[in-house]
Amino acid sequence: MRAKEYYRASSLEDAYQKLQEDAKNVLLAGGLWIKKIGQSYNTLIDLSTLGLNQISENKDEIIVGAMVTERDFENHPAIRKLFNDSIAFAVREVMGVNFRNLATIGGSIMGRYPFSDVISGLLPYHVKLKFYPEQEMSLEEYLNYKGKLNAILTEIHIKKEEGRGYFKKVKTTALDFPTINFAISKINNEYKIVVGARPMVATIAKGASEYISNIKHPTEEDFIKTTELAVEELSFMDNKDASKEYRMDLTRVYIKRGLKEVNE
Amino acid sequence: MAVDKKKMRVVNNKTHSVDGKGIMQGRSYFTDDLADSGSLIIKILRSPHAFAKIKNIDVSKAKALNGVMLVLIYKDVPHISFSRAGQGYPEPSPHDKFILDEYVRYVGDEVAMVAAISEEIAEDALKLIEVEYEVYEPVLDFENAYNNKTIIHPEDGIKEMFPIGFEPKKNVAASYEMEVGNVEEELKKCDVVIDETFYSQAQAHAMLETHSSNARLDEHNRLVIYSSTQTPFHMRRILATTLELPVSKIRVVKPRVGGGFGGKQAFHGEFFCALTTIKTGRPSKLVYTREEVFESSYTRHPMRIEMKIGAMKDGTIRAIDCRSLSDTGAYGEHSLTVFMIVGSKVLPLYNKVKAVRFGGQVVYTNHVSAGAFRGYGAIQGNYALEAAIDVLAEKLNMNPKVIREMNSMKEKETSPIFEIMGEGTKGTAMIMESCKLPYCIKRGAELIDWDNNYPRKVINDHIVRGYGMAIAMQGSGIPFMDMGSATIKLNDGGSYTVLVGATDIGQGSDTIISQIIAEELGTTVDNINIYSSDTDLAPFDCGAYASSTTYISGNAAWKAAQKMRARLIKEAAAYLGVKEDTVEFDGKTFVSGDKEVTLNELSILWFYNKDQHQVEVTESYIGHVSPPPFMAAYAEVEVDLETGEYKVLNYVTVTDCGTTINPMLARGQVEGGVVQGLGMACFEDVKYDKKGNLLSNNFLNYHIPTQKEIHKLTTEFADSYEPTGPFGAKSVGEIGIDTPPAVICNAIYNATGVRIHRLPITPEKILKGIKENKK
Amino acid sequence: MKVSFYLNEVLVTYDVAPHEYLATTLRNHAYKSVKIGCNESSCGSCTVLINGKPAMSCSILSLQVEGKRITTVEGIQEEAAKIAEYFGDEGADQCGFCNAGFALVIYALKKEYENPTEEEIKNYIVGNLCRCSGLYSHLRAIKKYLKEGK
Repeated sequence: MRAKEYYRASSLEDAYQKLQEDAKNVLLAGGLWIKKIGQSYNTLIDLSTLGLNQISENKDEIIVGAMVTERDFENHPAIRKLFNDSIAFAVREVMGVNFRNLATIGGSIMGRYPFSDVISGLLPYHVKLKFYPEQEMSLEEYLNYKGKLNAILTEIHIKKEEGRGYFKKVKTTALDFPTINFAISKINNEYKIVVGARPMVATIAKGASEYISNIKHPTEEDFIKTTELAVEELSFMDNKDASKEYRMDLTRVYIKRGLKEVNE
Repeated sequence: MAVDKKKMRVVNNKTHSVDGKGIMQGRSYFTDDLADSGSLIIKILRSPHAFAKIKNIDVSKAKALNGVMLVLIYKDVPHISFSRAGQGYPEPSPHDKFILDEYVRYVGDEVAMVAAISEEIAEDALKLIEVEYEVYEPVLDFENAYNNKTIIHPEDGIKEMFPIGFEPKKNVAASYEMEVGNVEEELKKCDVVIDETFYSQAQAHAMLETHSSNARLDEHNRLVIYSSTQTPFHMRRILATTLELPVSKIRVVKPRVGGGFGGKQAFHGEFFCALTTIKTGRPSKLVYTREEVFESSYTRHPMRIEMKIGAMKDGTIRAIDCRSLSDTGAYGEHSLTVFMIVGSKVLPLYNKVKAVRFGGQVVYTNHVSAGAFRGYGAIQGNYALEAAIDVLAEKLNMNPKVIREMNSMKEKETSPIFEIMGEGTKGTAMIMESCKLPYCIKRGAELIDWDNNYPRKVINDHIVRGYGMAIAMQGSGIPFMDMGSATIKLNDGGSYTVLVGATDIGQGSDTIISQIIAEELGTTVDNINIYSSDTDLAPFDCGAYASSTTYISGNAAWKAAQKMRARLIKEAAAYLGVKEDTVEFDGKTFVSGDKEVTLNELSILWFYNKDQHQVEVTESYIGHVSPPPFMAAYAEVEVDLETGEYKVLNYVTVTDCGTTINPMLARGQVEGGVVQGLGMACFEDVKYDKKGNLLSNNFLNYHIPTQKEIHKLTTEFADSYEPTGPFGAKSVGEIGIDTPPAVICNAIYNATGVRIHRLPITPEKILKGIKENKK
Repeated sequence: MKVSFYLNEVLVTYDVAPHEYLATTLRNHAYKSVKIGCNESSCGSCTVLINGKPAMSCSILSLQVEGKRITTVEGIQEEAAKIAEYFGDEGADQCGFCNAGFALVIYALKKEYENPTEEEIKNYIVGNLCRCSGLYSHLRAIKKYLKEGK
């Protein structure tokens, strides 16, 4: 990675203006992914003095600053309380502590990485992203947004609700990308079933989620039928880590197990 | 003469490594830590093609870049073929490599080098080199390499040093055949014959310190190279030959090495550092990136191994026929020697057969070169043999433990293979003076409760635990070839300075050599300063490979210490005016009747006051046998039948390595080897795309075991004593790695009914097997 | 461009390139205990403590640590010597390349967790690779070290 300049932004407006000055100017979050891509940039724009590294909560939601590290996020008591710790657990599955003390929640989301456990872990819940200049959209909308969003992610809002969650990352070793990952939420009787790293980016299996949401006391057969719907409606691919068929087999197994777990 | 273990004060006692504390506290003595400040940074331009010829190469723009001090292409360097393998002379590997060549034979092969005043300038200069390639169809399937229309080494000037079956025009680097008795005849007489073929994959060493070397000219204008290497003396010789310099003008120093495992038993950046420093007069350095280590150093030899085993109904194994094909990649380092060990350090386990045959070829392909890696053929051979033995046991309706107890090597026995197969040449006959394999098998079985648990325990509707086992052997150095030496100097005050060529690459040879010397001289490890692996200051040692440091270097150290002890007693006797055989020496004081003098007093006299002379001894050792360590290993594996995922809950090993000079370091060697073996069995896979690009070229894509994959390791040692070893020791450096592929394969089979014939053993393969079995 | 931070409690000011990573800067200023094993955020050999928390120094730009407290193993010599004793007892002392990073992680673990479970210990250290030891000896050593003084 090469960069000509390093700029400490004094405000969000300042950072945004700097970003417009040159196509090769880029926002610096944790900086981990920038290193991996290894391109040449003009100016790295540092956001670390803008107070975006705080977590606060009100009665309706938890507000996570985009520059909060993954480690601070996973340790925060309010986050751990959510959905039997399943969101925090998803983040804890990423690499090691020495990585997560640098990686930011905002950085993980902005990149829309298909292998992201953070995105899969958040997607089944009501998560709203706030940007500067003033703009907001749900996490799901952002994942489907066409093209690159010319804005700075400032906050991630997670709605506080009563419900249960499940997260599973299938991997070769602990420091691996996911072979595939699963996240399921059950809030009142509404289910959201998410499968990520297929190897495509996290997606809600809408048909499957709706099907099971309409069943008040689901049986084993209902769970199996749900997994079949998910396997049919989602797309999977071969890559060097696993075959399409194996990913589909894993989907059948883990969605069933996850549905059982959120119903305990 | 056997030394009573109970009387040992230092050997076989808890001893921390001599350098552990300093290293943990951050003392910086790894190779790159010692590079001269202001060293020119060397970067290598590497081939993007798996097989090509350089038609045109224009380095003018790179040379013109400010700060670039040197650019070299194949026309600028001596055109002398050599082998990069760190082996004794004459090398049993073909001389098929040039420092830079007009052919490039794998993606990552060297095309040109740049030395510049900064890393950035060097990287920019690489981008300015323009190369036109004539691209050829590469050979990427080792099963189609033989006689392929693409010839990977068509050039002149390459050769074998002695007959090893080198046929480059057919893409053969080496080949080997041997037979004891008549295998075909014996198989016909057998009640049961099994025939199984296994594939083992390439494995990357993944040592944490990348390959690193740096060079400078000293005040005598001699070339001084620091290198993270396992074989400093071989490096000096090979540099001298390829650079056309006298050996006397080169000094090689090995600093602390951050892991080797065989991966630093060949030469890489040193040629470029040497050339740069000689041509510019400036210090230079080359530190491989992690990608370069994956793409451009070397891997384990991937192999196909077919095992045919014939036995009688009562379980007696009568004949073993083993045929193997090995892929040595673009260059032939270690090609024959690794291949032979597939047979020589595996098949003798079942020494009572009437006939045994081993043979096959090592072929070139346009893959990353393969080379030395802990186990060195024994792990590949062990996988095939020990999995096949389980197949045989099932066919005979016998417990796998019982069939091994019946047929495996015992103390005072031998195998004809020892005499026939050596390291590229003939071997050395030997009787197993120490072999506790029967104890290892029995004890390991107890530790895992084999009799109650084999073959499996069903935990619930989708979780099963399977139990598997394997036995293994290795060697201790190469007889009549590997040599080690030690020099011991007495200092004023009664401490000793020890100079050894032995190469500590983290396995602790500095420590155990200090222990051996301290034991013999009646002193303690902290009364000894050890300095190793400097070709100027230390006496010769072949280097850290073939499990030789404990046995060869350790024996040299013991000989030297014995000589020193005798010398001190002789001189103390002369001083006291008494007969030598009346003198008792406890390490500090010489006593004869009512006369006594301390070593401290004598040393000061000898340095400053009377009959002044330096008391110093040097001794060398070569092995006359290569006594194998033995091991029995067992594993408990828990499988999820719905997904194929599995955990190794407990890996049990019982090892006979003779006396453990340092019981904790020995345990570290076994456990470290086991986990690397588990890596090969379960998680690691070197993968290429269709054009020969390496996909697994970083730690994100190449998965070595982490803390969370290791659940429990149960490690014990047999009480054993090897009469030819220092204080009864044999080697322990490699044996730990040999068993996991077979053990996991066998345990998975016992849990699921699926036998995996191609490593690594992945959940996807297991699930596929389970689904196929259901049909 | 200049950056100032506390290095083992001492305020230092260095002139660094915008794209220069902390590991390189530290090594260039004679803190060679910081090792570069992969240079791509995967192995943990370069681990230092930033404000007491383990972080991969190859993955953070020097300019990003303005005003922060950086600890290398040179700053915890006594603890490192103690940890070395426990490693030595278990045969975990092999090539040593990963050791400086581990000493810092283990030190940070002891400060952050009162009585960690085995799973918590493993989760804390999993980001530091070791290829020599087989890893089990590390766990044995750490458990004993954490018990010390209790």
